[in-house]
Amino acid sequence: MKKLFYSIALSVLVAAGSSCKKVDNYAAPNVTLKGTVTDAGTGKSLQTEQGSGTRIKLLEISWSSNPTPFYISSFQDGTYQNTKLFAGKNVISAEGAFVPLVQVDDAGKTIVDKSQTVDVKDVTTVNFSVEPFLRIEWVGDPVLNADGTITTSFKVTRGTADPNFQQNVSDVAVFVNSNNYVGNNNYDNRYTPKLSGNDANNSVGKTLSLTTLGGALPGKRSYFIRVGARVSYGLNYYNYTDVKEVKVP
Amino acid sequence: MKKFPYIILTFLLCWTTACKKLDTLPPSIISDQDVFSSAAGVTAYMARMYSELPIEDFRYSPERGLNMFWIISPTSATTGEALSRDQNGSMQENTGLSTWSDCYRTIRDANYFSENIGKYAGNFTNDQVNNWLGEARFIRAATYFALVKRYGGVPLVDKVLKYPEQSIEELKIPRNSEEKIYDFIGTDLDYAYANLPETNQVGRANKYVAAGFKSRAMLYAGTVAKYNQISLVDGSGNRLCGIPVAKAVTYFKAAYDAAALLDGKYSLYKKAWAAGDKNAQYLNYVNMFFDASSPENIFVRQYHYPESVHGYDAYNVPRQLMGANGYSSEVNPTLDFVELFDGFPKNADGTIKTTTGGKYDLYTNTMDIFANAEPRLRATVVLPGDVMKGVSIEIRRGIYTGSSVGGINPLLPAGSTAHYPTDNIVQSANASQTPYKLPNGTTMNPAGLSGYFTGDGTNSVSGFSIRKYIVPDKPTSEVLENRSDQTWIELRYAEVLLNRAEAAVELNSLGQSDKSYLQDAFTQINAIRERGGADLLTGTANLTIDVVRKERKKELGFENKQYWDMRRWRVADKEQNSTIYRTLMPFYSANDGKYFFDARLDERNSRYTFDVRWYYEQIPQDEIQKSQNLIQNPGY
Repeated sequence: MKKLFYSIALSVLVAAGSSCKKVDNYAAPNVTLKGTVTDAGTGKSLQTEQGSGTRIKLLEISWSSNPTPFYISSFQDGTYQNTKLFAGKNVISAEGAFVPLVQVDDAGKTIVDKSQTVDVKDVTTVNFSVEPFLRIEWVGDPVLNADGTITTSFKVTRGTADPNFQQNVSDVAVFVNSNNYVGNNNYDNRYTPKLSGNDANNSVGKTLSLTTLGGALPGKRSYFIRVGARVSYGLNYYNYTDVKEVKVP
Repeated sequence: MKKFPYIILTFLLCWTTACKKLDTLPPSIISDQDVFSSAAGVTAYMARMYSELPIEDFRYSPERGLNMFWIISPTSATTGEALSRDQNGSMQENTGLSTWSDCYRTIRDANYFSENIGKYAGNFTNDQVNNWLGEARFIRAATYFALVKRYGGVPLVDKVLKYPEQSIEELKIPRNSEEKIYDFIGTDLDYAYANLPETNQVGRANKYVAAGFKSRAMLYAGTVAKYNQISLVDGSGNRLCGIPVAKAVTYFKAAYDAAALLDGKYSLYKKAWAAGDKNAQYLNYVNMFFDASSPENIFVRQYHYPESVHGYDAYNVPRQLMGANGYSSEVNPTLDFVELFDGFPKNADGTIKTTTGGKYDLYTNTMDIFANAEPRLRATVVLPGDVMKGVSIEIRRGIYTGSSVGGINPLLPAGSTAHYPTDNIVQSANASQTPYKLPNGTTMNPAGLSGYFTGDGTNSVSGFSIRKYIVPDKPTSEVLENRSDQTWIELRYAEVLLNRAEAAVELNSLGQSDKSYLQDAFTQINAIRERGGADLLTGTANLTIDVVRKERKKELGFENKQYWDMRRWRVADKEQNSTIYRTLMPFYSANDGKYFFDARLDERNSRYTFDVRWYYEQIPQDEIQKSQNLIQNPGY
């Protein structure tokens, strides 16, 4: 009887041990996808904000013709990178403050499709060249005034000739923040001057100067400044300049 | 061998008993027959559907969803109506909630009822059956409305889906257009209006409830058509997000006409109201929320201790009336909300006036500045020093000990979010305070009994507390979680009048002149203002849409309506863009023996930013995994 018990126990152990063999035979994701979204007019990367700015949309069609989209958020400077993807065939496009790469008319027909079908493997680079809604240029550097405020000069122009994407400019702002992550997602509204309504819309094509609000800025620190403007289209994405630092002694 | 026939007989007898049908339902399961064949069964079925009805009542917060007792992240603290220590920003509804699937379950219940009650019609009169069918349609419409205001177009399911008779592919129903869903809601509510009785049990729909809900839903549709910028079109041309601008007039007219159906059927609550008597108007407004026979109540959800309860009082009473659970003051109205009202000193820009010539104004009591406040404000908000449950609610930020010769200068520069300087101010970190000795020899606690405490935040963080819906005579021993059972008024006549006025002003601005819309809006707004004791409009010239919206914010504040109003007006991203709300901090000046007020930005520095994406909430990922034909809303 004892012998029988031991042999059953042993066979259970052997069965349990043998089931531990690994069956997960799929390699961990190790493919890198990266690239830049650039302004077709200037050739520079298109500035954006993290979180609710530019993002890259991946539709992996290796397995299904109707996949759930996967998104990669871009960095503030318009570049993006993901180093933990699976290899596969993807239809890739981008969304953000520019003329949509994929456009659907009211009847649901796709009328424009500039997405790219790419075999993503190893290290793949996919760049996009887009027409921003608005293009914002610095006119000189921000100036620290004698009264402790900062005046910023800039010019907003249309980035696209397509009249369907020339909606009214709803907001123009000189965003001010205490670190270089600055934009509509992250700014200090005590200092940030803004234009909206007609003031914003009439600003197109003119050189504007806006001065920080709230009097003299507290000293002994740096301020990070960035101009943003947006049109009333879709999710009201902002277009931006790059970030400039102003040191207040 | 004579036994043999008996044995055969016995054997055969055994067989006959075996003929009893085995195919019977377990007696523990309630069948359709049990429920649908008696009026009591139908009432029970209805009771469940009503309890599932997705309305944002005492048991709702965006953080924790519908029908959840724990409301310490109050809705009003996401909209700027209030500040709360546990909700410090704007938010879309928590995406982990099951609102989507819960709504479809209720829709299925309603569809199931509609499809099956006919089989038992012989047990009832025609009227009974029609009334119930109307009720089921009302519930379905109200549930679709809860979906469309969150997600835009959703899958339209108007019959019971059957699995496995229908294939999985067939059941992956794609989203319909937002416009179609609103039209469907309109049709269902028209059907309900035609079939429901004039009156019904309290808490159940009658035909005017259907009409009132229609005025609400169509108004939402009209404003989305007029103000929405977001578009999402699927491969078959259904516009899942957004409604064509051209439809705005149709929807506003539908809202206006539906609201007019309630004319003469309900009225504003004025039982204790008296012209020119501010105190009577205040009491009248407070009582309105507790009078079961109020002619203003159209659709309510009742609670009853101990079987159906909520905790509104326990979470929201001022700190000094705190109950044994240790909760209090979760809802603290902002100064921005208070400034919407009339009856206290104001600057030219509409903000409260607390200084003259750069020096603080002094008051003997904190209530003096609000001596002539609009009665509706007092009935909605506990002002510092006002009485609740027989005690004065003491709200004091601290004691100013500096010199007051020549007046007191503002403690902080305008627009500052810094803490107050501590050199001339004594303050308290929490409720165990060290009394301060005043120059006249008496002592005083630095902070009021209801705050402000600099340390733990369990106090009035805005300088105000909430009065609306707090039971005025509830003993502190009963101020407990799950111990409150006041009725939630989901739809009251004031809202219908506001719906009507808003639709009218919008129609007027869209160039419609088939009725004297502006004059009608003027009448409705003034009726509401008169009841609330506010300054009346003097003419239609200044009656803009902003006036109507402001009136709506004031009248329906803290009733969980503004959360949706800010969205459908598409103003949330403008109102909440790195916004810090304002507070009013009363100080006691030791040398004057008087109070002064400092209006400032929230000292806790809570910034509110509304993401444009949230106008259409994120469809839960697990729903998309179940049904891959669902297209996610833009930006998620």
